[in-house]
Order: sequence, then C-alpha cells, then structure tokens
Amino acid sequence: MGNGPQPEPYAVVVDQLVKRFGDFVAVDHVSLSVAQGEIFCFLGPNGAGKSTTIRILCGLLAPTSGKATVHGYDVATQSEEVKRSIGYMSQKFSLYDDLTVNENIEFFSGVYGVPKARRQSRKEEVLKMAGLEDRANDATGLLTGGWKQRLALGCAILHEPPIVFLDEPTSGVDPIARRHFWDLIYEMAERGSTVFVTTHYMEEAEYCQRLALMYRGKIIALGAPDDLKRELGPDAKMEDVFITSIEREEAKDDQ
Amino acid sequence: MKFRRFYAIFRKEGMHIVRDWRSLGLALAIPAMLLLLFGYALTLDVDKIPTAVYDQDRTPQSRDLIAHFQGSRYFHITDLNATYSSIEKSINKSNVIVGIVIPKDFGRTILSSGAAQVQLILDGADSNTASIAIGYANALVATYSGEVRDRELSRRGTPKVKLPVDVRVRMLYNPELKSKNFIIPGLISVILMLVAAMLTSLTIAREWESGTMEQLLSTPVRPIELLMGKLCAYFVLGMADMVLALVLGMGVFKVPLHGSTLLLGISSMLYLFGALCWGILISTIARSQQVAFQISLLTSFLPAFLLSGFIYSLDNMPWIIQQISRIFPARYFVAILQGVFLKGIGFGLLWSNLLFLLIYAMVVFVIANKKLRPKIA
Amino acid sequence: MWERIYEILKKEIRQALRDPKLRATMFFPPVMQILVFGFAVSLDVNNVKLGWLDMDQTEQSRSLLHGFQGTSYFSLTGVAHSEKEAQALLDNGTADAVVRVPYNFGADVSKMKQTEVQVLVDGSNSNTASIVSNYITSVISGFNAKTLSSQRGARLVAASRNGPVLLAAPSVEAETRVWFNPDLKSRNYFIPGILVNIIMIVTLNLTAMSIVREKEIGTMEQIMVTPIRPIELMIGKTLPFALIGFIDSVFVTVLALLIFHVPFRGSALLLIGAAALFLLSMLGMGLFLSTISHTQQQASMTSFFFIQPAFMLSGFTFPIRNMPAPIQWLTYLNPLRYFMDIVRGVFLKGAGIDALWSQMLLLGIFGVAILVSSALRFHKRLD
Repeated sequence: MGNGPQPEPYAVVVDQLVKRFGDFVAVDHVSLSVAQGEIFCFLGPNGAGKSTTIRILCGLLAPTSGKATVHGYDVATQSEEVKRSIGYMSQKFSLYDDLTVNENIEFFSGVYGVPKARRQSRKEEVLKMAGLEDRANDATGLLTGGWKQRLALGCAILHEPPIVFLDEPTSGVDPIARRHFWDLIYEMAERGSTVFVTTHYMEEAEYCQRLALMYRGKIIALGAPDDLKRELGPDAKMEDVFITSIEREEAKDDQ
Repeated sequence: MKFRRFYAIFRKEGMHIVRDWRSLGLALAIPAMLLLLFGYALTLDVDKIPTAVYDQDRTPQSRDLIAHFQGSRYFHITDLNATYSSIEKSINKSNVIVGIVIPKDFGRTILSSGAAQVQLILDGADSNTASIAIGYANALVATYSGEVRDRELSRRGTPKVKLPVDVRVRMLYNPELKSKNFIIPGLISVILMLVAAMLTSLTIAREWESGTMEQLLSTPVRPIELLMGKLCAYFVLGMADMVLALVLGMGVFKVPLHGSTLLLGISSMLYLFGALCWGILISTIARSQQVAFQISLLTSFLPAFLLSGFIYSLDNMPWIIQQISRIFPARYFVAILQGVFLKGIGFGLLWSNLLFLLIYAMVVFVIANKKLRPKIA
Repeated sequence: MWERIYEILKKEIRQALRDPKLRATMFFPPVMQILVFGFAVSLDVNNVKLGWLDMDQTEQSRSLLHGFQGTSYFSLTGVAHSEKEAQALLDNGTADAVVRVPYNFGADVSKMKQTEVQVLVDGSNSNTASIVSNYITSVISGFNAKTLSSQRGARLVAASRNGPVLLAAPSVEAETRVWFNPDLKSRNYFIPGILVNIIMIVTLNLTAMSIVREKEIGTMEQIMVTPIRPIELMIGKTLPFALIGFIDSVFVTVLALLIFHVPFRGSALLLIGAAALFLLSMLGMGLFLSTISHTQQQASMTSFFFIQPAFMLSGFTFPIRNMPAPIQWLTYLNPLRYFMDIVRGVFLKGAGIDALWSQMLLLGIFGVAILVSSALRFHKRLD
C-alpha cells in the first residue's frame, strides 16, 4: 500500500511469540521471518497452533507475550494498520452465502476501501481470476468448494495488499482445484505479494519457498523444503521430514 | 468512521434482511399475527356472560327481575329453567358463569314490603370475569330493588326516598371501555422489542457461527462502523413494523389516537434504537444463535410482555416486581403509548419517560460499542 | 426392538442432563412462569389510587373521604384543588379515579337534599376501570346507608349490600356466593394454566430441538443408517421429553400447592390421564416441527410462531367466550383449550370425569391424530 514504515526486507517478523488460553499453550515461543514476495508455508497437524498463529499475525488475537510485526507494524499495538495492509482468507472461506458473487465482491471492496477509480477494474480482475465471469450474479451459497475458494481468495486481495494470509485455503477441495489454486498463489507472488499459507497437506509443502513445521505449538523444523529433505537423505520425502521432526521433538519431551 | 465501510455493511445487512425468511418472518409475520390476535381475537371485555336462572317463584316479580338481566348486554341467559344441580353441573363444565336462584317466596315478600333475597352463584375460577360479573349483577339487582321500592312508595303516595348522594361516573379516555384500545397501543412496544432485540441478537451470533465475523474482523472495518451499519439496517425494518402496527391498529382496528404523533414518533425511535442496541449487545456476548435467541426472549420480549403494563397493570404487582420493571424500557414506552393514544397527554407529562428511553439508548449504545471489539479474544 | 429404544433413551437422557442449555430449559421456564404468574401478574385490583377534589371541605365531605380511606382497597394519592388539577392527576397517572365533591355537599346532606358526587375514572385499562368504578360506588352506597340511617332513625333504614334500604318498603338484596375461588384471586386462575404452558413448551420445544440438532450436526444421518426403525427412533426421541414434561408438571403442581396454596379439589388420576393425552399432541407437534425444520433456528422460530397463538387462544388470560365467533370455532382445534378446561376444572372445581369427559375425549382424539400424522411424515431420510 505504500503508506507507513516498511524499511525491513522482511514482510513478517515473529519473535518468541506465545499465546496461552488458560493453561493451554497454543503457540509456544514461535520465531520466524518471511521475506517480501516469498511464499511461506505453515505445515502441521490439526491443533498444532497454525491457525492461532495466523490469527495473531492478522490482529485477530492478542499475543500473550512476544512480538510480531507485519509489514513493519506491530500486531499487538498497531492492529488497525496491519489490517489495512493484509488480506485474510479464513478457514471457512467466510463468504456470505445469500449474497451473489458480485455482491460479495462489492461488499469486501467497500470494506477494504478499494479506491473508487479501481473498484470496477478490480472486480473484473477478481472475477477473471476466479473464473466466475459468467456466474457473477449467482448466489454464493450455490457455488461448490473450489469456486468458493477462489472467490474467497479474490475477495481477500481486492485491495491489492502486500501480504496475504491464507488459512487452510485448500481444505476440502479436490486435487485439481488445489493445483489451480496454487497457480494463482504463484501469480500473486510473482507480482510481488508475500503469501503466508497454512495447510495440513504434506504435498503442498513442495509448492512453497520456505516452510515451518508446527507441532504442539512449537516450530520443529524451519527452512526451504529441499534443504529440509536433503538433511535426511537423497530419497527423503516431506512426510519423512515431518515424522523425523516429530520423533525428535517427542524424544526431547521424554528426557 | 468511514462512511464507505459503514455503507457497505449497511447494504449487506439490508440484503440479508430481505433475503432471509427468518428475519422477514419475525419482522412481519409475527407482528401481524400479534396484531390480529390482540385486535380481533383476544379481549378482556366482559359481556354476554352465560347465565342460568333457577326461578323457584314464578311470579310477575321474579319474571320482572329476570327481565332486567335479559335486557342487559352483560348477561346472556342460556337456561331459564335451571335447577341447583343443573347450575352446578353447568358451572363445573364451565358452560355458565352466573347462576341466579330466585327463592319461592320472592314475590310475596316484595308485595308485603319485605326484604327479598336473590341468590347469585358465581364461578370464581375465572376470577377476572367473576369480579366484573359481580359488579354488574349487584348493580342490576340494586336497580331493580330501587324500582320496586319506588313503585311501592308512589303507590302509597309517600315521597320517594332520595339517596343522599347520587353518584355519576364518567369514564375518561376510553368511554366505551374497549380493551383493545389500551392493549393495542401497548402491543407496539412488544412488537418493536420483538423485531429489534430478537432479530439483532441473531445477526452477530450468526456471523460468528458461519465464520464471516472472523473474516470481517480481519478487515479494516471498525467496530463503530459495524455497529452503525447493522443498527441502521434494522432500524429501517423496525420503523416499517411501526408503520404496519399503526396502519393495522388505527386503520383496521380503529384504535383512536388522541395525542401528538410527533411524540409518538420520537419515543418510538428512541425505544427502537435502545432495543436494537440491546439486541446487538446480546449478540456480541452469545456466540451461538440459539443462546442469543433464548437470552433475547428472556430479557426483551418477556419483560415487554409481562412487566410493562401492557396488559397486566403494574400497580397491582408486588412492590419488588414493580421495581424490577423499572429497569426495562418497555414500561416507559408503554406509559407513553397509552398516554398518547388514550389520554392525549403530551411532552409535559411524559418527559420523564422519554428521558429514561434516551438515557437507556445511550448507555446501551456505548456498552455495545465497547463490547464489539476488533478481536476474537 | 426395545433394546434399541432403550439405547436411544439412554443417550437422550445423558445428553439432556449434560447439556447446560437443556438443563436450563427444563427448569427455568417453569420456575420463572410460576414466579411471574404467581407473584407478579394479576388482573386483580387491590390497590386503587384515589384522587380527591373536595370543593366543600366540610365535616360531611371529610366523612366521605374516611369512608374510602377506611378500606384497604383505596389509597389517597393526590389531592386536587381545581378541575384542572383533577384532570392532571388522571393524566399523569397519579390517580386511577378522582372523586369530586361539589360545593354544597355538606349543606345538602344536612338539609336532606340530594346532592351529586362526580367520579372521574381513568378508563384506559377497561378491565380495572369497571372494577374500580364498582368499588367506588359501593363505598358511596355505604355512606348513603349511614347517612340515611342517621337522618331517619335506625329503625327505618338498613344497609344492604346493594345500598341502604328502607325497612318499611320492599327491597331486593343479592346474596353472592362465589364458588371455587371465593377471594377471587387471579393467581388461582393463572397458575393451573401454567401447567398447560409448561408441558407445551418443554415437550414440544425440546423434542423438536433434539431431533433437529442431530440433523444439523450430522449424527442423525449416522443413526438413520443403522437398522433402527422409524417408530423406535421416534419413541426414543419423544419419551425422554415426555418424562421431563411430566416431571416439570409435577414440580409446578407441588409449587402451586405449597407456595401459592392453589386449591386442588379434583382427582389427581384424572389430571394425570389428561396430561398424558395432552402430551401426545404436544409430542406429535414436536415431531411435526422437526420434520419441517432443517436447522435449530428454523425449529425455534417456527415453534415460537405456533406456541404464541396457541397459548393466547387457549383461554389462559383471555376467555374464549369473549372471542369473535369464527375464532371460537378455531379454538375447537386447539388441544390446549381442552386441557386448560380440565386443569382448571380439576384444581379449582373438583370436577370429575362426568363433567370433563368431552374434553378428555377430544384431547385424546387430537393427541392420537396429531401424533399419527406426524409419525407418518417421519421417515428415515434426510429430507
């Protein structure tokens, strides 16, 4: 967006982030950084703390301790500025089922403050990206999973945010649609957006430039997919990395 | 607050309202049903009380007395030839509310200038009707008694005895004593509360449940814009209901409006606003629609129905209940409604009620605004 | 078959007891209703706010005032000194009625000349207005009797319920006997009716909700795939709530008897029988509602839409007799109406089967009809 501090080369910086819900530690001293224009994946089983972390980064949850900045803004104290610089696609795709595709786009346009001059063109671009030009007046509730997913992504980037957070964007979507979706993510990254994705699909790890494995609130592996696999051997796959990291983690706990 | 974002929310809410059968049902169908029920079907007016007569005497005097009852609109004689046991049975079956038993020597006693007795048996189960029936029956008997006495006195040539004090009763405000004239104005407070609080309580809870609230909170939308957007959309709906109530109440059910429409308008807008804010407050606390619905039923609809003076008068309730009713805005609004419709009184006498509505609306608005935080937790 | 029903029953009861919301719905409405209708709400007029406009200010006018203050029904809440003030007392609700004593009141009374007292009654609440007006005229009658007897000598005049009567002239007096509720307390009228409402709310709502909830979360689908038969599912789903409704009614009855001293003069057996029949129709309606709703939202709203008019048109507050004819015909289709009659009959009148057989019969017919037709709609399918 251009207004506000962005001196850092990093789009997202997380430093010893902790989030506690009562006695339960959902996010346990997480530290990572995501460079501008990078596609970063957050992998892990359900309940690992991925969604919680992403919500903190979006300013939806307050951290218990630790620090995080998004686009140079502190998520705890400058959440409004953060929200203006990001696009967020929640796990449930969160569109209004009883509104049409167009109406959802117009609504989020208004709410994200897309400048008047850009509204029409952005709408067309998003419709094209989602492949919904012919179904612009259909009720959103009637769309199937894959279409909804793309519409939700479109609505999240109407205001062309520099950073996009996608929380399990491909869950429940068929493999072909998933692949198309990742093509879209690549296009966005090529245009300069930073994309932060969480997923529990191991194969999607291959698609990103760097990833973090999360397990029980902790980051148990961090780096580029190829680097992580190479550590284990020539034929290692992502699952192996994952299983090894978890075993290593559990061994630590046993000590 | 940016107008653009407010307007986007406002427009979205409007679309939801129009497309959601639930909202429309609550907003239009239920008020219409209530108006029909209270305007047409339900009434507390008492007349044509079913009565049975057991005339043990069968003299011109007893028939004369019976004629008085027959001539009265309050009594409807269903059985002229009853007996004790048939009266008992009819009362048990709730077919008859009043049983009149005229003893055997009724006529003879009157002719000999004595004090004749008539027995009135009443079914006390419906205490309300019974109370009113006793009043009317006693009045009829007293009238008959006076006639009998005056006839005898004029026969004797004695001057009529005049009661020292003659009572003239004037019923103000609702001279025909039609219960719908006071029920329907009060009903407006129930209708508005129903629409406002119940509908708005569902709206935010629904967004939580479907996940769109999380989505919304991740955008630059500020709580105040969200609040105002939803408030304004439902305000329009509430006002539409107000108009519906007025049209049906005054146009179809002919409830008279003696006072100032301006006062009516202002007070209803204040009340509606307060009710809407209350609903939104409930909605931010309750994360599920089920819970939100129950809470709004309990804290807005029921107090408006039972503790506002709309049907059940507040003065006859125990002191502690009367104090409890003071925290609910419905009571003040009903006072204004009844005042404006029936009594024709104005700002001068109703200002304190209006003030409470204003304060309530402001307080609840502020609290709702604070509660609607831009975070999930 | 019975094992399967038993399994469903077990599950339902477990779920019901564990879910705080359900627990709340089981106990909160009955308690609240009894509190409200027992203590708060009434149609009785116990306390009339009296305004007084005395243009005369003599011993006689004060004596009239004492006549009012001497009863427990009146409290003097405002004194006016002009017509305008009197109007204001009524306008702002300070007084329910204003008695206006004219200028020469005392003089006329001593001169045995008839004088007139005007009573302005706030007619807004037509119900209380007639009662208030009756109370006032009877106090004035009492004053008349006292005055007459002191004017003409005690031998010649006696006070009667209807006013003073000359002993030497004929008079008619009414002796009133109120059956069943001699103090005419409206709570005796309301509380039995609550029983009807409780059973309806609890069984209808809970039954519909429990079935629809399972539809919503998907476990219904799971159950439907098992060999369980629709009838077994229905029995399993409705029986627990029938039990709860029953327990609630016993609870309400006990409260009614112990705390509010509502009389119970009839046969408990008859009441139980009637309650069972009534339960049939309510369970049937609950089943029906569950077949037309897909979400709990729809279910609760539709049940609200149904319960409100059903209850209003049952004779609970508003007597059916006073309703317009077409509506009265409509109420013949309302099972609540029959149960209301029975409940009031049993509590207050000690009525037996001979008086109430027709209501029982109709209740039974409706119960079976509704239950059967709803059961037919209840398929083991998701639509």
